[in-house]
Amino acid sequence: MRRRPGIGGLQNAAAARDQYRMLGENVAKIRTDMMKEQLATFRSQLEEFARKHKNDIRKNPAFRSQFHEMCAKVGVDPLASNKGFWAELLGIGDFYYELGVQIVDICLATRPHNGGLINLQELCNLLRQRRKSDREAVSEDDCLRAISKLKAQGFVTVDEVERRLSWTSGRAIDALDTLLDEGLAMIDDGHKDGRRRYWFPCVSSISTSVADT
Amino acid sequence: MQKLGDFKLPHFFNYPPYFTLQPVRDTREKQVQLWKELILDYCRTQKIFVIGLEEDFPLFSNAVIERSLTHEAREAFLSALVSEAGRAEWLDKGHRKCLILWHRIQDWADIILHFVKDNGLEDSVITVEEMRSGIECRGTELHGIDRTILMRALKLLEQKGKLAIFKGTSADDEGVKFSM
Repeated sequence: MRRRPGIGGLQNAAAARDQYRMLGENVAKIRTDMMKEQLATFRSQLEEFARKHKNDIRKNPAFRSQFHEMCAKVGVDPLASNKGFWAELLGIGDFYYELGVQIVDICLATRPHNGGLINLQELCNLLRQRRKSDREAVSEDDCLRAISKLKAQGFVTVDEVERRLSWTSGRAIDALDTLLDEGLAMIDDGHKDGRRRYWFPCVSSISTSVADT
Repeated sequence: MQKLGDFKLPHFFNYPPYFTLQPVRDTREKQVQLWKELILDYCRTQKIFVIGLEEDFPLFSNAVIERSLTHEAREAFLSALVSEAGRAEWLDKGHRKCLILWHRIQDWADIILHFVKDNGLEDSVITVEEMRSGIECRGTELHGIDRTILMRALKLLEQKGKLAIFKGTSADDEGVKFSM
Protein backbone atom coordinates (compact mmCIF):
# COMPACT_ATOMS: atom_id res chain seq x y z
CA MET A 1 0.00 0.00 0.00
CA ARG A 2 1.43 3.31 -1.02
CA ARG A 3 2.00 5.60 1.94
CA ARG A 4 0.32 8.96 1.82
CA PRO A 5 1.46 11.82 4.02
CA GLY A 6 -0.83 13.65 6.47
CA ILE A 7 -3.88 12.69 8.54
CA GLY A 8 -5.71 11.25 5.55
CA GLY A 9 -2.80 8.89 5.03
CA LEU A 10 -2.88 7.80 8.67
CA GLN A 11 -6.62 7.12 8.58
CA ASN A 12 -6.26 5.01 5.49
CA ALA A 13 -3.50 3.00 7.04
CA ALA A 14 -5.63 2.41 10.15
CA ALA A 15 -8.65 1.37 8.06
CA ALA A 16 -6.50 -0.99 6.06
CA ARG A 17 -5.10 -2.57 9.26
CA ASP A 18 -8.63 -3.09 10.54
CA GLN A 19 -9.70 -4.81 7.35
CA TYR A 20 -6.69 -7.09 7.38
CA ARG A 21 -7.38 -7.95 10.99
CA MET A 22 -11.02 -8.82 10.30
CA LEU A 23 -9.97 -10.93 7.38
CA GLY A 24 -7.45 -12.69 9.56
CA GLU A 25 -10.11 -13.38 12.23
CA ASN A 26 -12.46 -14.82 9.65
CA VAL A 27 -9.77 -17.07 8.29
CA ALA A 28 -8.95 -18.23 11.80
CA LYS A 29 -12.62 -18.97 12.47
CA ILE A 30 -12.98 -20.98 9.29
CA ARG A 31 -9.86 -22.95 10.13
CA THR A 32 -11.12 -23.63 13.64
CA ASP A 33 -14.47 -24.83 12.40
CA MET A 34 -12.83 -27.10 9.89
CA MET A 35 -10.53 -28.50 12.51
CA LYS A 36 -13.43 -29.16 14.86
CA GLU A 37 -15.18 -31.08 12.14
CA GLN A 38 -12.07 -33.04 11.34
CA LEU A 39 -11.57 -33.90 14.98
CA ALA A 40 -15.18 -35.08 15.33
CA THR A 41 -14.71 -37.30 12.28
CA PHE A 42 -11.40 -38.56 13.63
CA ARG A 43 -12.96 -39.37 16.98
CA SER A 44 -15.72 -41.48 15.52
CA GLN A 45 -13.22 -43.27 13.30
CA LEU A 46 -11.09 -43.89 16.38
CA GLU A 47 -14.06 -45.46 18.12
CA GLU A 48 -14.65 -47.65 15.08
CA PHE A 49 -10.99 -48.66 15.13
CA ALA A 50 -11.15 -49.50 18.81
CA ARG A 51 -14.18 -51.72 18.26
CA LYS A 52 -12.48 -53.62 15.47
CA HIS A 53 -9.18 -54.11 17.25
CA LYS A 54 -10.39 -54.63 20.79
CA ASN A 55 -8.50 -57.89 21.21
CA ASP A 56 -5.25 -56.59 19.83
CA ILE A 57 -5.43 -53.62 22.16
CA ARG A 58 -5.96 -55.93 25.12
CA LYS A 59 -3.35 -58.52 24.27
CA ASN A 60 -0.50 -56.63 22.63
CA PRO A 61 1.40 -54.04 24.72
CA ALA A 62 3.11 -52.38 21.75
CA PHE A 63 -0.16 -52.06 19.86
CA ARG A 64 -1.82 -50.82 23.04
CA SER A 65 0.83 -48.15 23.49
CA GLN A 66 0.40 -46.83 19.96
CA PHE A 67 -3.34 -46.83 20.39
CA HIS A 68 -2.96 -44.65 23.49
CA GLU A 69 -0.79 -42.25 21.53
CA MET A 70 -3.39 -41.96 18.82
CA CYS A 71 -6.04 -41.24 21.43
CA ALA A 72 -3.90 -38.63 23.11
CA LYS A 73 -3.48 -36.82 19.80
CA VAL A 74 -7.20 -36.18 19.60
CA GLY A 75 -7.74 -35.54 23.27
CA VAL A 76 -9.39 -38.86 24.09
CA ASP A 77 -8.42 -40.51 27.36
CA PRO A 78 -9.77 -44.06 27.47
CA LEU A 79 -8.79 -44.28 31.12
CA ALA A 80 -10.41 -41.05 32.22
CA SER A 81 -13.43 -42.75 33.66
CA ASN A 82 -14.64 -46.24 34.42
CA LYS A 83 -18.01 -45.48 32.95
CA GLY A 84 -19.06 -44.64 29.44
CA PHE A 85 -18.14 -45.73 25.97
CA TRP A 86 -14.44 -46.34 26.31
CA ALA A 87 -14.52 -48.18 29.60
CA GLU A 88 -17.29 -50.49 28.45
CA LEU A 89 -15.81 -51.10 25.04
CA LEU A 90 -12.34 -51.89 26.14
CA GLY A 91 -12.72 -52.79 29.80
CA ILE A 92 -9.14 -51.72 30.27
CA GLY A 93 -9.82 -49.44 33.24
CA ASP A 94 -9.81 -52.37 35.60
CA PHE A 95 -6.63 -53.71 34.08
CA TYR A 96 -4.74 -50.53 34.92
CA TYR A 97 -6.36 -50.29 38.30
CA GLU A 98 -5.23 -53.76 39.24
CA LEU A 99 -1.79 -52.99 37.89
CA GLY A 100 -1.67 -49.90 40.07
CA VAL A 101 -2.44 -51.87 43.20
CA GLN A 102 0.20 -54.46 42.33
CA ILE A 103 2.73 -51.74 41.77
CA VAL A 104 2.05 -50.20 45.16
CA ASP A 105 2.39 -53.66 46.64
CA ILE A 106 5.78 -54.22 45.00
CA CYS A 107 7.05 -50.82 46.02
CA LEU A 108 6.06 -51.56 49.59
CA ALA A 109 7.77 -54.93 49.56
CA THR A 110 11.02 -53.62 48.08
CA ARG A 111 11.21 -50.47 50.19
CA PRO A 112 13.49 -52.00 52.88
CA HIS A 113 15.96 -52.93 50.12
CA ASN A 114 15.93 -49.83 47.97
CA GLY A 115 14.82 -47.13 50.37
CA GLY A 116 11.76 -46.33 48.30
CA LEU A 117 13.31 -45.71 44.90
CA ILE A 118 12.85 -48.36 42.27
CA ASN A 119 14.07 -48.48 38.69
CA LEU A 120 11.23 -48.71 36.16
CA GLN A 121 12.73 -51.73 34.41
CA GLU A 122 13.12 -53.60 37.66
CA LEU A 123 9.56 -52.73 38.64
CA CYS A 124 8.28 -54.16 35.35
CA ASN A 125 10.32 -57.33 35.75
CA LEU A 126 8.96 -57.91 39.22
CA LEU A 127 5.50 -57.18 37.93
CA ARG A 128 5.82 -59.68 35.07
CA GLN A 129 7.08 -62.33 37.46
CA ARG A 130 4.06 -61.83 39.64
CA ARG A 131 1.70 -61.96 36.72
CA LYS A 132 3.37 -64.93 34.97
CA SER A 133 0.23 -67.01 35.07
CA ASP A 134 -1.90 -64.04 34.11
CA ARG A 135 -3.60 -63.18 30.93
CA GLU A 136 -2.29 -59.90 29.60
CA ALA A 137 1.36 -58.99 29.06
CA VAL A 138 2.62 -55.83 30.71
CA SER A 139 4.97 -53.18 29.36
CA GLU A 140 6.80 -50.26 30.95
CA ASP A 141 4.36 -47.99 29.22
CA ASP A 142 1.52 -49.81 31.00
CA CYS A 143 3.28 -49.26 34.33
CA LEU A 144 3.52 -45.54 33.78
CA ARG A 145 -0.11 -45.33 32.79
CA ALA A 146 -1.22 -47.31 35.81
CA ILE A 147 0.75 -45.03 38.08
CA SER A 148 -0.67 -41.87 36.60
CA LYS A 149 -4.19 -43.28 36.89
CA LEU A 150 -3.59 -44.05 40.56
CA LYS A 151 -2.29 -40.53 41.01
CA ALA A 152 -5.30 -38.98 39.31
CA GLN A 153 -7.90 -40.32 41.68
CA GLY A 154 -5.72 -40.36 44.77
CA PHE A 155 -8.02 -42.42 46.96
CA VAL A 156 -10.00 -45.68 47.24
CA THR A 157 -12.85 -47.01 49.32
CA VAL A 158 -13.00 -50.51 50.78
CA ASP A 159 -15.94 -51.33 48.48
CA GLU A 160 -13.97 -50.40 45.39
CA VAL A 161 -11.03 -52.58 46.34
CA GLU A 162 -13.33 -55.51 47.09
CA ARG A 163 -15.21 -55.13 43.86
CA ARG A 164 -12.31 -54.61 41.51
CA LEU A 165 -9.96 -57.19 42.91
CA SER A 166 -12.65 -59.64 44.02
CA TRP A 167 -11.31 -59.65 47.55
CA THR A 168 -13.25 -60.26 50.73
CA SER A 169 -14.00 -57.30 52.94
CA GLY A 170 -11.53 -58.53 55.55
CA ARG A 171 -8.71 -58.85 53.06
CA ALA A 172 -9.37 -55.42 51.60
CA ILE A 173 -9.38 -53.75 55.00
CA ASP A 174 -6.23 -55.62 56.06
CA ALA A 175 -4.39 -54.50 52.96
CA LEU A 176 -5.50 -50.89 53.32
CA ASP A 177 -4.73 -50.82 57.04
CA THR A 178 -1.26 -52.16 56.31
CA LEU A 179 -0.63 -49.27 53.96
CA LEU A 180 -2.02 -46.98 56.65
CA ASP A 181 0.37 -48.33 59.29
CA GLU A 182 3.29 -47.96 56.91
CA GLY A 183 2.50 -44.27 56.61
CA LEU A 184 1.62 -44.67 52.91
CA ALA A 185 -2.06 -43.90 53.29
CA MET A 186 -4.28 -41.54 55.27
CA ILE A 187 -7.93 -42.01 56.24
CA ASP A 188 -10.73 -39.64 55.38
CA ASP A 189 -14.04 -40.05 57.21
CA GLY A 190 -15.47 -36.71 56.22
CA HIS A 191 -17.35 -37.47 53.03
CA LYS A 192 -21.10 -37.04 53.32
CA ASP A 193 -21.70 -40.60 52.09
CA GLY A 194 -20.17 -41.77 55.35
CA ARG A 195 -17.75 -44.16 53.64
CA ARG A 196 -14.16 -44.17 54.74
CA ARG A 197 -11.66 -43.25 52.06
CA TYR A 198 -7.99 -44.17 52.01
CA TRP A 199 -5.84 -41.51 50.37
CA PHE A 200 -2.35 -42.11 48.98
CA PRO A 201 -0.13 -39.04 49.26
CA CYS A 202 2.82 -41.39 48.59
CA VAL A 203 1.68 -42.09 45.04
CA SER A 204 3.04 -38.82 43.74
CA SER A 205 6.49 -39.68 45.09
CA ILE A 206 6.31 -43.15 43.52
CA SER A 207 5.47 -41.67 40.14
CA THR A 208 8.26 -39.12 40.43
CA SER A 209 10.98 -41.64 41.21
CA VAL A 210 9.77 -44.13 38.60
CA ALA A 211 9.53 -41.43 35.93
CA ASP A 212 13.10 -40.36 36.62
CA THR A 213 14.56 -43.67 35.37
CA MET B 1 -3.17 -21.33 46.38
CA GLN B 2 -6.51 -20.93 48.09
CA LYS B 3 -7.03 -17.82 50.14
CA LEU B 4 -9.18 -16.85 53.09
CA GLY B 5 -9.45 -13.14 52.51
CA ASP B 6 -5.82 -12.07 52.29
CA PHE B 7 -4.50 -15.12 54.03
CA LYS B 8 -2.76 -17.77 51.91
CA LEU B 9 -3.84 -21.24 52.92
CA PRO B 10 -1.26 -24.04 52.94
CA HIS B 11 -1.65 -27.00 50.54
CA PHE B 12 -2.59 -29.51 53.23
CA PHE B 13 -5.76 -27.51 53.93
CA ASN B 14 -7.14 -28.76 50.58
CA TYR B 15 -6.28 -32.42 51.19
CA PRO B 16 -9.35 -34.15 52.68
CA PRO B 17 -7.58 -36.64 54.99
CA TYR B 18 -6.14 -33.77 57.03
CA PHE B 19 -9.64 -33.06 58.27
CA THR B 20 -9.85 -36.52 59.88
CA LEU B 21 -7.86 -37.29 63.01
CA GLN B 22 -5.25 -39.81 61.85
CA PRO B 23 -4.92 -42.97 63.90
CA VAL B 24 -1.27 -43.78 63.05
CA ARG B 25 1.05 -42.05 65.50
CA ASP B 26 3.67 -40.61 63.13
CA THR B 27 1.02 -39.42 60.70
CA ARG B 28 -0.96 -37.89 63.55
CA GLU B 29 2.08 -35.99 64.84
CA LYS B 30 2.72 -34.50 61.45
CA GLN B 31 -0.95 -33.60 61.10
CA VAL B 32 -1.08 -31.92 64.51
CA GLN B 33 2.09 -29.95 63.79
CA LEU B 34 0.68 -28.61 60.53
CA TRP B 35 -2.59 -27.59 62.13
CA LYS B 36 -0.86 -25.91 65.10
CA GLU B 37 1.24 -23.79 62.76
CA LEU B 38 -1.75 -22.89 60.62
CA ILE B 39 -3.85 -21.85 63.61
CA LEU B 40 -1.09 -19.66 65.03
CA ASP B 41 -0.29 -18.04 61.68
CA TYR B 42 -3.91 -17.32 60.95
CA CYS B 43 -4.65 -15.85 64.39
CA ARG B 44 -1.50 -13.74 64.23
CA THR B 45 -2.33 -12.22 60.85
CA GLN B 46 -6.03 -11.74 61.59
CA LYS B 47 -5.42 -10.58 65.19
CA ILE B 48 -7.66 -13.26 66.64
CA PHE B 49 -7.19 -13.90 70.35
CA VAL B 50 -9.93 -16.34 71.23
CA ILE B 51 -11.24 -19.38 69.37
CA GLY B 52 -14.65 -20.79 70.25
CA LEU B 53 -14.79 -24.51 69.45
CA GLU B 54 -18.46 -24.50 68.74
CA GLU B 55 -18.33 -21.41 66.57
CA ASP B 56 -17.76 -20.97 62.86
CA PHE B 57 -14.03 -20.44 62.97
CA PRO B 58 -13.01 -20.24 59.28
CA LEU B 59 -10.19 -22.76 59.56
CA PHE B 60 -12.49 -25.45 60.94
CA SER B 61 -14.05 -26.18 57.58
CA ASN B 62 -13.18 -26.06 53.91
CA ALA B 63 -16.26 -25.68 51.72
CA VAL B 64 -14.27 -26.33 48.55
CA ILE B 65 -13.45 -29.92 49.51
CA GLU B 66 -16.58 -30.30 51.66
CA ARG B 67 -14.79 -31.22 54.84
CA SER B 68 -15.09 -30.00 58.45
CA LEU B 69 -13.11 -30.77 61.57
CA THR B 70 -15.07 -32.77 64.14
CA HIS B 71 -15.30 -31.38 67.65
CA GLU B 72 -12.81 -34.06 68.70
CA ALA B 73 -10.31 -32.94 66.08
CA ARG B 74 -10.68 -29.25 66.99
CA GLU B 75 -10.07 -30.06 70.63
CA ALA B 76 -7.09 -32.27 69.77
CA PHE B 77 -5.32 -29.55 67.80
CA LEU B 78 -6.04 -26.79 70.29
CA SER B 79 -5.03 -29.01 73.20
CA ALA B 80 -1.74 -29.59 71.45
CA LEU B 81 -1.26 -25.82 71.30
CA VAL B 82 -2.14 -25.54 74.98
CA SER B 83 0.45 -28.22 75.76
CA GLU B 84 3.09 -26.13 74.06
CA ALA B 85 3.89 -23.97 77.08
CA GLY B 86 2.70 -20.42 76.79
CA ARG B 87 1.08 -20.74 73.36
CA ALA B 88 -2.56 -21.13 74.30
CA GLU B 89 -4.84 -21.60 77.29
CA TRP B 90 -8.30 -22.99 77.85
CA LEU B 91 -10.58 -20.28 79.18
CA ASP B 92 -13.09 -22.76 80.61
CA LYS B 93 -13.11 -26.27 82.05
CA GLY B 94 -15.42 -27.46 79.30
CA HIS B 95 -12.77 -26.59 76.69
CA ARG B 96 -15.18 -24.48 74.69
CA LYS B 97 -13.03 -21.38 74.42
CA CYS B 98 -9.31 -21.17 73.85
CA LEU B 99 -7.06 -18.15 74.31
CA ILE B 100 -4.44 -18.03 71.56
CA LEU B 101 -1.06 -16.55 72.46
CA TRP B 102 0.55 -16.01 69.08
CA HIS B 103 2.66 -13.59 71.08
CA ARG B 104 3.55 -15.14 74.41
CA ILE B 105 2.72 -13.10 77.52
CA GLN B 106 6.41 -12.22 77.85
CA ASP B 107 6.42 -10.93 74.24
CA TRP B 108 3.41 -8.75 75.00
CA ALA B 109 5.18 -7.41 78.08
CA ASP B 110 8.15 -6.40 75.89
CA ILE B 111 5.81 -4.74 73.41
CA ILE B 112 4.26 -2.73 76.25
CA LEU B 113 7.69 -1.59 77.42
CA HIS B 114 8.56 -0.40 73.91
CA PHE B 115 5.23 1.37 73.69
CA VAL B 116 5.92 3.21 76.95
CA LYS B 117 9.37 4.30 75.79
CA ASP B 118 8.21 5.31 72.32
CA ASN B 119 5.53 7.56 73.79
CA GLY B 120 7.55 8.96 76.67
CA LEU B 121 5.18 7.54 79.26
CA GLU B 122 7.86 6.44 81.74
CA ASP B 123 6.48 8.46 84.63
CA SER B 124 2.92 8.74 83.43
CA VAL B 125 -0.44 7.27 84.09
CA ILE B 126 -2.67 5.77 81.44
CA THR B 127 -5.87 3.74 81.58
CA VAL B 128 -5.87 0.14 80.51
CA GLU B 129 -8.52 0.98 77.95
CA GLU B 130 -6.42 3.75 76.45
CA MET B 131 -3.53 1.33 76.07
CA ARG B 132 -5.58 -0.83 73.76
CA SER B 133 -7.80 1.70 72.01
CA GLY B 134 -6.40 5.18 72.58
CA ILE B 135 -4.77 7.36 69.96
CA GLU B 136 -1.19 6.46 70.92
CA CYS B 137 -1.71 2.79 70.32
CA ARG B 138 -3.08 3.14 66.78
CA GLY B 139 -0.75 1.47 64.33
CA THR B 140 0.94 -0.51 67.10
CA GLU B 141 0.47 -4.13 68.03
CA LEU B 142 -1.35 -3.11 71.18
CA HIS B 143 -4.27 -1.77 69.21
CA GLY B 144 -7.24 -4.07 69.74
CA ILE B 145 -5.36 -6.46 72.02
CA ASP B 146 -7.51 -8.81 74.03
CA ARG B 147 -8.15 -7.38 77.49
CA THR B 148 -7.38 -10.61 79.32
CA ILE B 149 -4.01 -10.86 77.61
CA LEU B 150 -3.21 -7.22 78.27
CA MET B 151 -3.97 -7.60 81.98
CA ARG B 152 -1.79 -10.69 82.20
CA ALA B 153 1.13 -8.88 80.58
CA LEU B 154 0.63 -5.87 82.84
CA LYS B 155 0.55 -8.11 85.91
CA LEU B 156 3.79 -9.70 84.81
CA LEU B 157 5.39 -6.26 84.54
CA GLU B 158 3.90 -5.28 87.90
CA GLN B 159 5.63 -8.25 89.47
CA LYS B 160 8.88 -6.98 88.02
CA GLY B 161 8.27 -3.57 89.54
CA LYS B 162 7.90 -1.77 86.21
CA LEU B 163 4.45 -0.45 86.90
CA ALA B 164 1.54 -0.42 89.29
CA ILE B 165 -2.03 -1.27 88.38
CA PHE B 166 -4.78 0.56 90.23
CA LYS B 167 -8.50 0.52 90.08
CA GLY B 168 -10.54 3.55 89.18
CA THR B 169 -14.19 4.12 89.88
CA SER B 170 -15.28 1.33 87.55
CA ALA B 171 -13.73 -1.47 85.53
CA ASP B 172 -13.34 0.96 82.64
CA ASP B 173 -11.13 3.16 84.72
CA GLU B 174 -8.47 0.64 85.58
CA GLY B 175 -5.19 2.45 85.22
CA VAL B 176 -1.49 1.90 85.11
CA LYS B 177 1.29 4.00 86.57
CA PHE B 178 4.68 3.31 85.07
CA SER B 179 7.87 3.56 87.07
CA MET B 180 10.60 2.71 84.62
